[in-house]
Amino acid sequence: MKTWKVLAVLMLLCAAVLAACTVAPVPMPADDSMAMEDEGPSGPVTLKFLALADDDQLNAWREILAEFQQLNDGEYSYVELEFETIPFRELFPKIESSVAVGLPWDLFQADGPDMKHYGFNRVIWPLTDHFSDEEMAQWFPQSIEEGSFRDQFLGPPIMQSCSLLMYNKDFTDAAGISPPVGIENAWTMEEAVAAWQDTTVDENGDGVPEVWGLRWGQGTWTGDYEHGIFRRSNGEIGSATYAGMGEDGVTFQGYLDTDEAAEAMQFYQDLHQTYKVSPVEAIPEIFESRQAAFMVTPDNRIGALNRIHGEGNFNWGVSGIPYFKTPVCHTGSWHYGISPNTQHFEEALEFVRYASSDAGARIWYKHVRQLPANIGLFNELDEYSEDGNQRVWLDAMNSFGIPRIQTPGYTEYQQLFAEAAGNIVVGADPKEQLSAAARRLEGLVAKYTGWNN
Amino acid sequence: MLATPISTPAKGWGRIWSRRNRYYLIAFLFVLPALINFTVFRYLPILAALRASMYQYSLLGGFGDFVGLDQYHAILSDSFFRNSLWVTLKFTIYKVPLQVLFSLILALFLARENLGTAFVRSAVFTPVVTSVIVVSVLWSMMYHSQLGLINSLLSIVGVPPQAFLSNPDRALPALTAMMIWKDVGFSMIILMAGLKGIPVVYREAAVVDGAKPWEVLWHITLPLLRRVMMFVMVTQTIFSFQVFVPVYAMTRGGPLERTKAVVYYIYQYGFLFQDMGTASAMSIVTLIILLVVSVGQMRLFRSDVSY
Amino acid sequence: MSILDNVAGNLAASTPGSSTELRRATWRGRLQMAVLIVVYVVMFLAFTIPFFWMFFGSIREEAEIFANLYPFTWKTILPIKWSLKNYLDIFGISDDGQKFGLQFQRFLGNSFLVSAGVVLSSLFFNTLAAYFFARLRFPLKNVLLVFVIATMLVPFQATIVPLYIVVDALGMANSYNGLIFPWYASPFVIFALMQFMRDIPTDLDEAAVMDGANLFHILWRVIVPLSIPGIITMALLEFQFIWNLFYWPLILISSPQLQMIQVAIATQTTQTQTFWGRTFAGSVTASLPVIVLFLFLQRYYVQGIALTGLKG
Repeated sequence: MKTWKVLAVLMLLCAAVLAACTVAPVPMPADDSMAMEDEGPSGPVTLKFLALADDDQLNAWREILAEFQQLNDGEYSYVELEFETIPFRELFPKIESSVAVGLPWDLFQADGPDMKHYGFNRVIWPLTDHFSDEEMAQWFPQSIEEGSFRDQFLGPPIMQSCSLLMYNKDFTDAAGISPPVGIENAWTMEEAVAAWQDTTVDENGDGVPEVWGLRWGQGTWTGDYEHGIFRRSNGEIGSATYAGMGEDGVTFQGYLDTDEAAEAMQFYQDLHQTYKVSPVEAIPEIFESRQAAFMVTPDNRIGALNRIHGEGNFNWGVSGIPYFKTPVCHTGSWHYGISPNTQHFEEALEFVRYASSDAGARIWYKHVRQLPANIGLFNELDEYSEDGNQRVWLDAMNSFGIPRIQTPGYTEYQQLFAEAAGNIVVGADPKEQLSAAARRLEGLVAKYTGWNN
Repeated sequence: MLATPISTPAKGWGRIWSRRNRYYLIAFLFVLPALINFTVFRYLPILAALRASMYQYSLLGGFGDFVGLDQYHAILSDSFFRNSLWVTLKFTIYKVPLQVLFSLILALFLARENLGTAFVRSAVFTPVVTSVIVVSVLWSMMYHSQLGLINSLLSIVGVPPQAFLSNPDRALPALTAMMIWKDVGFSMIILMAGLKGIPVVYREAAVVDGAKPWEVLWHITLPLLRRVMMFVMVTQTIFSFQVFVPVYAMTRGGPLERTKAVVYYIYQYGFLFQDMGTASAMSIVTLIILLVVSVGQMRLFRSDVSY
Repeated sequence: MSILDNVAGNLAASTPGSSTELRRATWRGRLQMAVLIVVYVVMFLAFTIPFFWMFFGSIREEAEIFANLYPFTWKTILPIKWSLKNYLDIFGISDDGQKFGLQFQRFLGNSFLVSAGVVLSSLFFNTLAAYFFARLRFPLKNVLLVFVIATMLVPFQATIVPLYIVVDALGMANSYNGLIFPWYASPFVIFALMQFMRDIPTDLDEAAVMDGANLFHILWRVIVPLSIPGIITMALLEFQFIWNLFYWPLILISSPQLQMIQVAIATQTTQTQTFWGRTFAGSVTASLPVIVLFLFLQRYYVQGIALTGLKG
């Protein structure tokens, strides 16, 4: 039975195990940290940092750490970072699982909307007493709102974001369209849809456009960050539609499913089904691969375009964001969170303090090139100066950037909203979808009732 | 099945250390390592899930009040849970028979040895090991209502473009077809191994007796393959019932909940709706359903064929 | 099926008497051969186009990957501008790869180590257990069998966190041990090998018993050699199962040095963009070892005789 072949495979596997054992001498982090505690603060301290998978970010933090170690004649030169990186979609489940076994890290990167979850469940170290008013004034007020739970400040921001309408200048020029400059003259949805129709090109007439007018949002999902803008934009400031959720943070009927919201989502459906300016089934990288003329996205798209096409080879422009009654962009900050289980609170706090200061944020921006959350930084960055080509994001942030709805039930909300939006895209009745989602959502978030009073 | 093994007579060990008990002890040692593994790594977590199903429990918040069977009561009246069971059942019923049939045909067809079959055999196995991320993206594009290769092929025969994944009625069949494509190689090689185990003499004898090819297949090969077929059926039913990855990567349960298989719903409930207690109750219900189905299948296919 | 078998059968069975028959048979044979080749080619393409799309996608410039999907032409699959950058990136050879500290060779090594460890231990323990269920007598054996098979029935997503807690309590969190130990026995493999072993005629091991062999000897000398196709199959399936593990290493492992390849590939999707080129290149390097393993083990599946009884 060719036994020797089987044996050969087994030998090969054995050899591989041995080889891998010898080439992979791995320090056991658990042992290291235990050893450190015994040595006290004079020995090296390694902060374990759970972060998003993003190599630019890691490089930014490495440089921030290097600067941090130099600070005050090397007061914290004994501090090191060890990263654990997780893809975005799995970050929240990973944090949940780790909490269930007892938070094995010191620092973590927390998404703005999730801060309320962590605050509600007390799995983040509140930092209210550790930041002065002066320090708090460094950041956008939206970031403070996102980073707080009730009256406690949970963690300073890493960066900010706000979605605007970017476009491929080659396509708008070809269609003879010049989108408005700055946020003041931004298109209404009605005006914008005309431009999207004009830039939807099907030259050979086979019913499949070579170029679509619009991709609304990053990726291919229908998440709240960009797609939730539709419903809130169709309400006046102060209206239930604009608020998006009751003040108690758990009521959705009468907010998510208003007639205005349904009307906005009807328009959202029409973009795909009637005007056909956006494909019903999303196409990955449709804007980046020059198959869509417009894209609603934060400024992080600039980095992606430069990476894919080479610096400056993609001829982009940016306009304000189209709106119904009120211009809206959802702000999206990421925050530093300190684990309540950390044995090195002081070091973690001081690292966070430095990283979120203007000095740290400057290094961050150099690597990641996304909208900083530190207001002071904008004075020194040419891109955001009065005539800089990214200025419009700062203006938008200041004049109509609002945080997403603030509730410990945000994850539940986002799941149901995204499913409803997905159903609306393929043709479901918007009013029915929103009402059903609002009803169901109230059942799911009832467990948080009373969280904010 | 086996005669009591010959061994040296017991010497004063008393009745307990009888020859039969000693045999049992030795026999038990064969299965002990596996049982330890299952007890520690499978049953402890299952017990933990059972406990969680009777508490208010979320991963971030930890254990809350004891609620007994309330969560079971709640999920049984949750129309979304019932829908997810129905979706899963349909997926399983579409997929398992077709996959077993196709893999049997492929196994029979590709078991012969020549250059062509060697290529095709490897080709059939390729999807099994191709990354699910890539497979999901690719099939989303192949099924695409406007750009898709499948619609390009349909247009050659004059069929207008169809929506698959965005059509509530076609999304699940489309997902099923993709997964049959991906998994058929998996069951094929198990069946091939089963075929390889059938002694050649039986078939040769039948051929000498003048049996036609299909008679040999029907009366000799398939009956002897029954145990392996049963295994493939039962395990594929279990795996299909636990389908998660394509739903997670491609449709996220949509459109209109039509592809929301039960394990995806459990994942969503436990990790995203932040209610692991209810998710655990759903898992226990799923376990019970699968237990009934699997035992039923094994009885149905019970094979007494022997040489 | 039976048509194809007849075709193949006729190919082999053409033993013509006269020269005209020979000519006719050859003509028919060629036609049938052509049909067979077309069938092979269509099947080959149907199963491998995605793989080739991924493969060629990994050696083209990233901007092209989604740019030429429609209409379907050679450009959809084949690169216009070829580029090895993605591979240089993921193995940390190019500047970008070094800048970001990418080291897929490390993750491949980890996956290989863990998969090999699981396959080796699992072959041993599962074979023992399968032998127990297939051949040995034991009170309430069927209950034990249900105990084993029932472990397959629980959705992994519901037990992954409790399992993490168990493994953490055993001090195996964030370690190779934690990746290997939970899988050293598998209900699937035990169930499969049990079925294969039951098909082995019992007179063989009874004869061995008569010769005074002990149970382990019977297993090693009689059962294992006759179960080789089944054991090989299970080793291969187990290997690809562990090789493709995603959620378990994602949850369990916190040191990047210990991470497995599928998680590493997923980390090429950041919050704002997916590095499709690197994702494809990583996926190709991750699937090739298993495909090569399959090619190497192929001969254990093929038969000397056509299964319907005709020489093939």
